[in-house]
Amino acid sequence: MIWAENLSFSYNAVPPYILDGLNLEIKRGEYVSIVGENGCGKSTLMKLILGFLKPTRGGIQTDAYKLGYVPQKSDSANSGFPITVYEMLDSYRRLLKLRDKSAVAEGLRQAGLFGYARTLMGNLSGGQQQKALIARALMGEPDLLLLDEPSAGVDPDSQHEIYALLKRLNTERGLTIVSVEHNLDAAISNSTVIFHLHGGRGHFCTPRQYSEEYLGKGDRRA
Amino acid sequence: MLSYGFMQNALIVSLSISILCPCIGVFLVLRRYAMIGDTLSHASLAGITIGLLSGQNPVLGAFVFTALSGALIEYLRRYFRKYTDLILTIVLALSVGTAITIISSGRLNASADAFMFGSVLTVTRTDTVMIMILSAVSVLALIRLYHQMVYIAYDEEAARVAGVRTGLINYVFFVLVASAISVSIRIVGVLVLSSMIALPVATALQLEKGFKQTLLFSGLFSVIDIMSGLFLSYYLNVAPSGFTALVSVFVLVAVMAGKKLKRAAKRSSDQNTAR
Repeated sequence: MIWAENLSFSYNAVPPYILDGLNLEIKRGEYVSIVGENGCGKSTLMKLILGFLKPTRGGIQTDAYKLGYVPQKSDSANSGFPITVYEMLDSYRRLLKLRDKSAVAEGLRQAGLFGYARTLMGNLSGGQQQKALIARALMGEPDLLLLDEPSAGVDPDSQHEIYALLKRLNTERGLTIVSVEHNLDAAISNSTVIFHLHGGRGHFCTPRQYSEEYLGKGDRRA
Repeated sequence: MLSYGFMQNALIVSLSISILCPCIGVFLVLRRYAMIGDTLSHASLAGITIGLLSGQNPVLGAFVFTALSGALIEYLRRYFRKYTDLILTIVLALSVGTAITIISSGRLNASADAFMFGSVLTVTRTDTVMIMILSAVSVLALIRLYHQMVYIAYDEEAARVAGVRTGLINYVFFVLVASAISVSIRIVGVLVLSSMIALPVATALQLEKGFKQTLLFSGLFSVIDIMSGLFLSYYLNVAPSGFTALVSVFVLVAVMAGKKLKRAAKRSSDQNTAR
Protein backbone atom coordinates (compact mmCIF):
# COMPACT_ATOMS: atom_id res chain seq x y z
CA MET A 1 0.00 0.00 0.00
CA ILE A 2 2.97 2.34 0.68
CA TRP A 3 6.32 2.02 -1.06
CA ALA A 4 9.49 4.01 -0.56
CA GLU A 5 12.68 3.44 -2.47
CA ASN A 6 16.03 4.98 -1.65
CA LEU A 7 14.13 7.75 0.14
CA SER A 8 16.27 10.62 1.41
CA PHE A 9 15.17 13.87 2.93
CA SER A 10 16.67 16.95 4.52
CA TYR A 11 14.88 20.24 5.10
CA ASN A 12 17.64 22.19 3.32
CA ALA A 13 17.93 19.63 0.48
CA VAL A 14 21.61 19.11 1.37
CA PRO A 15 23.31 16.56 3.69
CA PRO A 16 23.06 15.55 6.48
CA TYR A 17 19.81 13.77 5.63
CA ILE A 18 17.18 12.98 8.27
CA LEU A 19 16.15 10.00 6.16
CA ASP A 20 19.00 8.56 4.11
CA GLY A 21 18.32 5.91 1.45
CA LEU A 22 15.31 4.46 3.28
CA ASN A 23 13.40 1.53 1.73
CA LEU A 24 9.93 0.60 2.90
CA GLU A 25 6.93 -1.48 1.91
CA ILE A 26 3.71 -1.48 3.91
CA LYS A 27 1.08 -3.99 2.84
CA ARG A 28 -2.68 -3.52 2.87
CA GLY A 29 -4.26 -4.61 6.17
CA GLU A 30 -1.14 -4.15 8.30
CA TYR A 31 -0.97 -2.16 11.51
CA VAL A 32 2.52 -0.62 11.44
CA SER A 33 4.05 1.30 14.31
CA ILE A 34 6.98 3.53 13.37
CA VAL A 35 9.34 3.80 16.33
CA GLY A 36 12.76 5.30 16.95
CA GLU A 37 14.61 7.86 19.00
CA ASN A 38 13.55 11.50 19.19
CA GLY A 39 14.57 13.36 16.02
CA CYS A 40 15.16 10.19 13.98
CA GLY A 41 12.61 11.29 11.35
CA LYS A 42 9.39 9.50 12.36
CA SER A 43 7.13 12.53 11.87
CA THR A 44 9.11 13.53 8.75
CA LEU A 45 8.41 10.11 7.26
CA MET A 46 4.72 10.58 8.09
CA LYS A 47 4.68 13.96 6.33
CA LEU A 48 6.38 12.39 3.28
CA ILE A 49 3.69 9.67 3.16
CA LEU A 50 1.04 12.41 3.37
CA GLY A 51 2.72 14.36 0.57
CA PHE A 52 3.26 17.43 2.78
CA LEU A 53 7.00 17.18 2.07
CA LYS A 54 8.77 16.23 -1.15
CA PRO A 55 11.66 13.73 -1.05
CA THR A 56 15.12 15.18 -1.59
CA ARG A 57 16.10 11.94 -3.36
CA GLY A 58 14.29 8.72 -4.18
CA GLY A 59 10.52 8.37 -4.00
CA ILE A 60 7.56 7.39 -1.89
CA GLN A 61 4.06 6.51 -3.10
CA THR A 62 0.80 5.04 -1.91
CA ASP A 63 -2.17 3.49 -3.70
CA ALA A 64 -4.59 4.34 -0.87
CA TYR A 65 -7.79 5.77 -2.35
CA LYS A 66 -8.73 7.67 0.79
CA LEU A 67 -6.51 8.82 3.66
CA GLY A 68 -7.45 9.50 7.25
CA TYR A 69 -4.97 11.49 9.33
CA VAL A 70 -4.73 12.18 13.05
CA PRO A 71 -2.08 14.86 13.64
CA GLN A 72 0.00 15.21 16.77
CA LYS A 73 -2.40 16.59 19.35
CA SER A 74 -0.23 19.61 20.13
CA ASP A 75 -0.59 20.62 16.45
CA SER A 76 -4.34 20.74 16.37
CA ALA A 77 -5.44 21.10 19.98
CA ASN A 78 -5.33 24.82 19.31
CA SER A 79 -7.10 25.27 22.60
CA GLY A 80 -8.17 28.89 22.07
CA PHE A 81 -9.82 28.22 18.71
CA PRO A 82 -13.60 28.74 18.93
CA ILE A 83 -14.88 25.57 17.31
CA THR A 84 -17.36 23.07 18.75
CA VAL A 85 -17.00 19.31 18.35
CA TYR A 86 -20.02 19.35 16.02
CA GLU A 87 -18.60 22.18 13.87
CA MET A 88 -15.21 20.43 13.66
CA LEU A 89 -16.82 17.23 12.37
CA ASP A 90 -19.49 18.84 10.20
CA SER A 91 -17.07 21.18 8.39
CA TYR A 92 -14.81 18.21 7.68
CA ARG A 93 -17.79 16.24 6.34
CA ARG A 94 -18.45 19.09 3.93
CA LEU A 95 -14.79 19.20 2.85
CA LEU A 96 -15.01 15.50 2.03
CA LYS A 97 -18.26 16.26 0.13
CA LEU A 98 -20.17 13.64 2.14
CA ARG A 99 -23.86 14.34 1.68
CA ASP A 100 -25.00 12.08 4.50
CA LYS A 101 -25.27 14.29 7.61
CA SER A 102 -25.50 11.18 9.80
CA ALA A 103 -21.69 10.86 9.37
CA VAL A 104 -21.36 13.53 12.07
CA ALA A 105 -23.64 11.69 14.51
CA GLU A 106 -21.76 8.48 13.74
CA GLY A 107 -18.45 10.25 14.45
CA LEU A 108 -19.80 11.58 17.76
CA ARG A 109 -21.05 8.11 18.71
CA GLN A 110 -17.76 6.47 17.76
CA ALA A 111 -15.81 9.00 19.83
CA GLY A 112 -18.20 8.59 22.79
CA LEU A 113 -18.89 12.33 22.63
CA PHE A 114 -22.62 12.38 21.94
CA GLY A 115 -23.32 14.73 24.84
CA TYR A 116 -20.45 17.04 23.86
CA ALA A 117 -21.53 18.14 20.38
CA ARG A 118 -21.86 21.80 21.45
CA THR A 119 -18.70 21.79 23.61
CA LEU A 120 -15.67 23.71 22.38
CA MET A 121 -12.82 21.43 21.28
CA GLY A 122 -10.47 23.34 23.61
CA ASN A 123 -12.66 22.49 26.60
CA LEU A 124 -12.40 18.71 26.07
CA SER A 125 -9.86 16.56 27.93
CA GLY A 126 -6.79 15.35 26.01
CA GLY A 127 -8.34 11.90 25.57
CA GLN A 128 -11.68 13.30 24.34
CA GLN A 129 -9.90 15.58 21.86
CA GLN A 130 -7.91 12.67 20.48
CA LYS A 131 -11.04 10.52 20.13
CA ALA A 132 -12.77 13.37 18.28
CA LEU A 133 -9.79 13.69 15.91
CA ILE A 134 -9.81 9.94 15.26
CA ALA A 135 -13.57 10.09 14.58
CA ARG A 136 -12.86 12.90 12.08
CA ALA A 137 -10.12 10.87 10.39
CA LEU A 138 -12.51 7.92 10.01
CA MET A 139 -15.11 10.01 8.15
CA GLY A 140 -15.53 8.93 4.55
CA GLU A 141 -14.26 5.42 5.41
CA PRO A 142 -10.57 5.74 4.54
CA ASP A 143 -8.53 2.64 3.60
CA LEU A 144 -5.38 4.05 5.21
CA LEU A 145 -5.27 5.66 8.65
CA LEU A 146 -2.15 7.64 9.61
CA LEU A 147 -1.60 8.72 13.20
CA ASP A 148 1.18 10.82 14.71
CA GLU A 149 1.68 9.87 18.37
CA PRO A 150 -1.96 9.08 19.13
CA SER A 151 -1.47 8.69 22.90
CA ALA A 152 0.54 11.87 23.54
CA GLY A 153 -1.09 13.90 26.31
CA VAL A 154 -3.86 11.32 26.81
CA ASP A 155 -4.80 9.76 30.17
CA PRO A 156 -4.22 5.98 30.61
CA ASP A 157 -7.93 5.02 30.42
CA SER A 158 -8.42 6.94 27.17
CA GLN A 159 -5.17 5.49 25.80
CA HIS A 160 -6.57 2.03 26.43
CA GLU A 161 -9.84 2.91 24.64
CA ILE A 162 -8.01 4.49 21.69
CA TYR A 163 -5.72 1.50 21.12
CA ALA A 164 -8.64 -0.92 21.52
CA LEU A 165 -10.50 1.04 18.82
CA LEU A 166 -7.47 1.05 16.48
CA LYS A 167 -6.94 -2.69 16.94
CA ARG A 168 -10.63 -3.35 16.26
CA LEU A 169 -10.54 -1.23 13.10
CA ASN A 170 -7.50 -3.16 11.90
CA THR A 171 -8.70 -6.68 12.67
CA GLU A 172 -12.44 -6.33 11.98
CA ARG A 173 -12.51 -3.78 9.17
CA GLY A 174 -9.09 -4.60 7.69
CA LEU A 175 -8.10 -0.92 7.89
CA THR A 176 -4.39 -0.32 7.21
CA ILE A 177 -2.92 1.70 10.08
CA VAL A 178 0.44 3.48 10.21
CA SER A 179 1.18 5.11 13.52
CA VAL A 180 4.20 7.07 14.71
CA GLU A 181 4.64 5.78 18.24
CA HIS A 182 6.53 6.87 21.31
CA ASN A 183 4.45 4.50 23.44
CA LEU A 184 6.44 1.30 22.95
CA ASP A 185 4.18 -0.89 25.09
CA ALA A 186 1.22 0.12 22.92
CA ALA A 187 3.25 -0.47 19.74
CA ILE A 188 4.22 -3.98 20.84
CA SER A 189 0.74 -4.92 22.10
CA ASN A 190 -1.29 -3.63 19.17
CA SER A 191 0.64 -3.45 15.91
CA THR A 192 1.24 -6.35 13.53
CA VAL A 193 4.57 -4.94 12.33
CA ILE A 194 7.10 -2.50 13.78
CA PHE A 195 9.25 -0.27 11.60
CA HIS A 196 12.30 0.79 13.57
CA LEU A 197 13.95 3.98 12.32
CA HIS A 198 17.61 4.54 13.14
CA GLY A 199 20.35 6.55 11.44
CA GLY A 200 18.10 7.68 8.60
CA ARG A 201 17.14 4.12 7.65
CA GLY A 202 14.73 1.57 9.02
CA HIS A 203 13.91 -2.08 9.20
CA PHE A 204 10.79 -4.11 9.84
CA CYS A 205 10.41 -6.58 12.65
CA THR A 206 7.60 -8.31 14.48
CA PRO A 207 6.53 -6.80 17.80
CA ARG A 208 8.03 -9.83 19.52
CA GLN A 209 11.39 -9.46 17.75
CA TYR A 210 11.44 -5.78 18.60
CA SER A 211 10.63 -6.48 22.22
CA GLU A 212 13.43 -9.05 22.49
CA GLU A 213 16.08 -7.35 20.38
CA TYR A 214 15.71 -3.78 21.58
CA LEU A 215 13.72 -3.65 24.77
CA GLY A 216 15.43 -6.79 26.06
CA LYS A 217 18.65 -4.77 26.09
CA GLY A 218 16.98 -2.17 28.27
CA ASP A 219 16.77 0.41 25.49
CA ARG A 220 13.27 1.86 25.94
CA ARG A 221 13.89 5.16 24.23
CA ALA A 222 11.62 6.05 21.38
CA MET B 1 -28.23 64.25 9.79
CA LEU B 2 -29.26 61.59 7.27
CA SER B 3 -30.72 64.29 5.04
CA TYR B 4 -27.15 65.03 3.93
CA GLY B 5 -26.06 63.04 0.86
CA PHE B 6 -22.55 62.48 2.23
CA MET B 7 -24.00 60.98 5.43
CA GLN B 8 -26.21 58.62 3.40
CA ASN B 9 -23.11 57.45 1.51
CA ALA B 10 -21.17 57.14 4.77
CA LEU B 11 -23.98 55.08 6.32
CA ILE B 12 -24.05 52.61 3.42
CA VAL B 13 -20.26 52.31 3.39
CA SER B 14 -20.16 51.91 7.20
CA LEU B 15 -22.72 49.10 7.03
CA SER B 16 -20.65 47.35 4.37
CA ILE B 17 -17.50 47.72 6.50
CA SER B 18 -19.19 46.46 9.64
CA ILE B 19 -20.27 43.28 7.86
CA LEU B 20 -17.15 42.59 5.82
CA CYS B 21 -14.39 43.49 8.30
CA PRO B 22 -15.28 40.96 11.03
CA CYS B 23 -15.86 38.23 8.40
CA ILE B 24 -12.25 38.69 7.30
CA GLY B 25 -11.00 39.62 10.77
CA VAL B 26 -12.10 36.38 12.38
CA PHE B 27 -9.83 34.40 10.04
CA LEU B 28 -6.94 36.87 10.37
CA VAL B 29 -7.10 36.82 14.17
CA LEU B 30 -7.49 33.05 14.49
CA ARG B 31 -4.59 32.44 12.11
CA ARG B 32 -2.49 34.80 14.27
CA TYR B 33 -2.34 37.15 11.28
CA ALA B 34 -3.66 40.29 13.00
CA MET B 35 -0.41 42.12 12.20
CA ILE B 36 -0.79 41.23 8.52
CA GLY B 37 -3.97 43.33 8.61
CA ASP B 38 -1.89 46.25 9.86
CA THR B 39 0.77 45.75 7.17
CA LEU B 40 -1.83 45.49 4.41
CA SER B 41 -3.66 48.59 5.59
CA HIS B 42 -0.35 50.46 5.16
CA ALA B 43 0.06 48.78 1.76
CA SER B 44 -3.30 50.22 0.78
CA LEU B 45 -1.90 53.74 1.25
CA ALA B 46 0.60 53.01 -1.53
CA GLY B 47 -2.29 51.81 -3.71
CA ILE B 48 -4.23 55.00 -2.99
CA THR B 49 -1.32 57.22 -3.96
CA ILE B 50 -0.75 55.20 -7.16
CA GLY B 51 -4.48 55.51 -7.93
CA LEU B 52 -4.43 59.29 -7.34
CA LEU B 53 -1.20 59.69 -9.34
CA SER B 54 -2.53 57.78 -12.35
CA GLY B 55 -5.93 59.51 -12.23
CA GLN B 56 -7.77 56.27 -11.40
CA ASN B 57 -10.17 55.63 -8.54
CA PRO B 58 -8.00 55.47 -5.36
CA VAL B 59 -10.22 52.73 -3.83
CA LEU B 60 -9.52 50.56 -6.87
CA GLY B 61 -5.80 51.39 -6.56
CA ALA B 62 -5.89 50.38 -2.89
CA PHE B 63 -7.64 47.10 -3.74
CA VAL B 64 -5.16 46.11 -6.46
CA PHE B 65 -1.99 47.08 -4.55
CA THR B 66 -3.21 45.48 -1.30
CA ALA B 67 -4.16 42.25 -3.09
CA LEU B 68 -0.70 42.13 -4.72
CA SER B 69 0.94 42.78 -1.34
CA GLY B 70 -1.13 39.95 0.18
CA ALA B 71 0.01 37.62 -2.60
CA LEU B 72 3.61 38.74 -1.98
CA ILE B 73 3.26 37.92 1.74
CA GLU B 74 1.92 34.45 0.89
CA TYR B 75 4.79 33.88 -1.57
CA LEU B 76 7.46 35.11 0.86
CA ARG B 77 5.96 32.95 3.63
CA ARG B 78 7.32 29.94 1.78
CA TYR B 79 10.66 31.60 1.04
CA PHE B 80 11.39 32.91 4.56
CA ARG B 81 10.13 29.89 6.51
CA LYS B 82 12.37 30.57 9.50
CA TYR B 83 12.04 34.37 9.58
CA THR B 84 8.35 34.99 8.92
CA ASP B 85 8.33 38.28 10.87
CA LEU B 86 10.76 39.67 8.26
CA ILE B 87 8.08 39.32 5.58
CA LEU B 88 5.89 42.03 7.09
CA THR B 89 8.89 44.35 7.39
CA ILE B 90 9.71 43.83 3.69
CA VAL B 91 6.13 44.47 2.51
CA LEU B 92 5.81 47.44 4.88
CA ALA B 93 9.06 48.94 3.53
CA LEU B 94 7.90 48.48 -0.07
CA SER B 95 4.45 49.99 0.45
CA VAL B 96 5.28 52.84 2.86
CA GLY B 97 8.33 53.64 0.73
CA THR B 98 6.14 53.84 -2.39
CA ALA B 99 3.52 56.00 -0.62
CA ILE B 100 6.01 58.46 0.88
CA THR B 101 7.92 58.79 -2.40
CA ILE B 102 4.75 59.57 -4.37
CA ILE B 103 3.29 61.94 -1.74
CA SER B 104 6.60 63.83 -1.34
CA SER B 105 7.05 64.13 -5.12
CA GLY B 106 4.29 66.80 -5.16
CA ARG B 107 2.71 65.24 -8.24
CA LEU B 108 -0.58 64.31 -6.59
CA ASN B 109 -3.55 66.40 -7.64
CA ALA B 110 -5.51 65.39 -4.53
CA SER B 111 -4.66 64.97 -0.87
CA ALA B 112 -4.05 61.52 0.57
CA ASP B 113 -4.67 62.82 4.13
CA ALA B 114 -8.34 61.83 4.09
CA PHE B 115 -7.27 58.23 3.59
CA MET B 116 -4.81 58.37 6.48
CA PHE B 117 -7.41 59.48 9.05
CA GLY B 118 -10.68 58.53 7.31
CA SER B 119 -13.42 60.97 6.44
CA VAL B 120 -17.15 60.79 5.80
CA LEU B 121 -17.02 63.87 3.60
CA THR B 122 -14.88 62.31 0.87
CA VAL B 123 -17.10 59.29 0.14
CA THR B 124 -18.57 59.82 -3.32
CA ARG B 125 -21.55 58.05 -4.90
CA THR B 126 -19.11 56.16 -7.22
CA ASP B 127 -17.12 55.02 -4.18
CA THR B 128 -20.32 53.89 -2.50
CA VAL B 129 -21.36 51.76 -5.48
CA MET B 130 -17.87 50.28 -5.87
CA ILE B 131 -17.64 49.53 -2.14
CA MET B 132 -21.08 47.84 -2.16
CA ILE B 133 -20.07 45.65 -5.12
CA LEU B 134 -16.70 44.71 -3.55
CA SER B 135 -18.40 43.92 -0.22
CA ALA B 136 -21.15 41.80 -1.79
CA VAL B 137 -18.68 39.80 -3.93
CA SER B 138 -16.37 39.31 -0.93
CA VAL B 139 -19.15 38.12 1.39
CA LEU B 140 -20.41 35.71 -1.29
CA ALA B 141 -16.86 34.35 -1.76
CA LEU B 142 -16.55 33.91 2.01
CA ILE B 143 -19.85 32.01 2.17
CA ARG B 144 -18.71 29.78 -0.71
CA LEU B 145 -15.31 29.06 0.90
CA TYR B 146 -16.51 29.08 4.52
CA HIS B 147 -15.68 25.47 5.47
CA GLN B 148 -12.35 25.45 3.63
CA MET B 149 -11.29 28.65 5.38
CA VAL B 150 -12.44 27.42 8.80
CA TYR B 151 -10.29 24.33 8.38
CA ILE B 152 -7.25 26.14 7.03
CA ALA B 153 -7.43 28.34 10.13
CA TYR B 154 -8.08 25.46 12.54
CA ASP B 155 -5.97 22.62 11.14
CA GLU B 156 -4.27 23.28 7.81
CA GLU B 157 -2.82 19.75 7.56
CA ALA B 158 -6.25 18.15 7.98
CA ALA B 159 -7.59 20.50 5.32
CA ARG B 160 -4.87 19.35 2.90
CA VAL B 161 -5.63 15.68 3.62
CA ALA B 162 -9.30 16.41 2.85
CA GLY B 163 -8.24 17.73 -0.56
CA VAL B 164 -8.47 21.47 0.09
CA ARG B 165 -6.16 23.46 -2.20
CA THR B 166 -4.74 25.46 0.67
CA GLY B 167 -2.25 27.44 -1.45
CA LEU B 168 -4.93 28.69 -3.84
CA ILE B 169 -7.38 29.52 -1.03
CA ASN B 170 -4.67 31.43 0.85
CA TYR B 171 -4.21 33.64 -2.24
CA VAL B 172 -7.99 34.12 -2.54
CA PHE B 173 -8.07 34.98 1.18
CA PHE B 174 -5.55 37.78 0.68
CA VAL B 175 -7.66 39.17 -2.17
CA LEU B 176 -10.60 39.23 0.26
CA VAL B 177 -8.46 40.97 2.90
CA ALA B 178 -7.49 43.53 0.25
CA SER B 179 -11.15 44.00 -0.54
CA ALA B 180 -12.08 44.58 3.13
CA ILE B 181 -9.26 47.08 3.54
CA SER B 182 -9.99 49.06 0.41
CA VAL B 183 -13.69 49.14 1.31
CA SER B 184 -12.96 50.45 4.80
CA ILE B 185 -10.24 52.91 4.07
CA ARG B 186 -12.50 55.83 3.04
CA ILE B 187 -14.26 56.00 6.40
CA VAL B 188 -11.86 54.35 8.82
CA GLY B 189 -8.52 55.49 7.41
CA VAL B 190 -5.20 53.65 7.24
CA LEU B 191 -4.11 54.36 10.79
CA VAL B 192 -6.87 52.57 12.71
CA LEU B 193 -8.04 50.14 10.05
CA SER B 194 -6.45 47.05 11.57
CA SER B 195 -8.24 47.70 14.87
CA MET B 196 -11.58 47.65 13.00
CA ILE B 197 -10.66 44.23 11.67
CA ALA B 198 -9.35 42.75 14.92
CA LEU B 199 -11.20 44.36 17.85
CA PRO B 200 -14.78 43.16 17.19
CA VAL B 201 -13.34 39.62 16.84
CA ALA B 202 -11.36 40.01 20.07
CA THR B 203 -14.61 41.07 21.78
CA ALA B 204 -16.58 38.13 20.36
CA LEU B 205 -13.86 35.67 21.45
CA GLN B 206 -14.51 36.70 25.07
CA LEU B 207 -17.92 34.99 24.84
CA GLU B 208 -16.27 31.57 24.25
CA LYS B 209 -18.77 30.36 21.64
CA GLY B 210 -18.39 28.09 18.61
CA PHE B 211 -17.08 29.39 15.27
CA LYS B 212 -20.37 30.41 13.69
CA GLN B 213 -21.55 32.22 16.81
CA THR B 214 -18.16 33.93 17.20
CA LEU B 215 -18.50 35.15 13.60
CA LEU B 216 -22.05 36.41 14.20
CA PHE B 217 -21.11 38.18 17.45
CA SER B 218 -18.07 39.72 15.71
CA GLY B 219 -20.50 41.16 13.15
CA LEU B 220 -22.80 42.44 15.90
CA PHE B 221 -19.97 44.13 17.81
CA SER B 222 -18.63 45.54 14.56
CA VAL B 223 -22.02 47.12 13.73
CA ILE B 224 -22.23 48.54 17.27
CA ASP B 225 -18.65 49.92 17.12
CA ILE B 226 -18.78 51.42 13.64
CA MET B 227 -22.35 52.78 13.73
CA SER B 228 -22.04 54.36 17.16
CA GLY B 229 -18.61 55.68 16.12
CA LEU B 230 -20.12 57.23 12.98
CA PHE B 231 -23.15 58.85 14.68
CA LEU B 232 -21.38 60.02 17.84
CA SER B 233 -18.44 61.47 15.90
CA TYR B 234 -20.93 63.50 13.82
CA TYR B 235 -22.39 65.14 16.93
CA LEU B 236 -19.01 65.52 18.65
CA ASN B 237 -17.52 66.88 15.42
CA VAL B 238 -14.49 64.58 15.51
CA ALA B 239 -13.03 62.13 12.95
CA PRO B 240 -15.15 58.93 12.84
CA SER B 241 -12.10 56.67 12.52
CA GLY B 242 -10.48 57.67 15.80
CA PHE B 243 -13.78 57.70 17.67
CA THR B 244 -14.83 54.30 16.24
CA ALA B 245 -11.50 52.85 17.44
CA LEU B 246 -12.19 54.28 20.92
CA VAL B 247 -15.72 52.84 20.94
CA SER B 248 -14.43 49.39 19.93
CA VAL B 249 -11.86 49.41 22.76
CA PHE B 250 -14.59 50.51 25.18
CA VAL B 251 -16.94 47.70 24.05
CA LEU B 252 -14.11 45.14 24.39
CA VAL B 253 -13.30 46.32 27.93
CA ALA B 254 -17.01 46.33 28.85
CA VAL B 255 -17.46 42.74 27.63
CA MET B 256 -14.30 41.63 29.47
CA ALA B 257 -15.56 43.27 32.66
CA GLY B 258 -19.00 41.69 32.23
CA LYS B 259 -17.38 38.28 31.79
CA LYS B 260 -15.35 38.74 34.96
CA LEU B 261 -18.43 39.84 36.94
CA LYS B 262 -20.40 36.86 35.66
CA ARG B 263 -17.63 34.47 36.74
CA ALA B 264 -17.39 36.09 40.17
CA ALA B 265 -21.17 35.84 40.59
CA LYS B 266 -21.10 32.17 39.60
CA ARG B 267 -18.26 31.43 42.01
CA SER B 268 -20.07 33.06 44.89
CA SER B 269 -23.34 31.23 44.04
CA ASP B 270 -21.40 27.91 43.90
CA GLN B 271 -19.87 28.65 47.31
CA ASN B 272 -23.32 29.44 48.76
CA THR B 273 -24.71 26.18 47.37
CA ALA B 274 -21.77 24.23 48.85
CA ARG B 275 -22.51 25.69 52.28
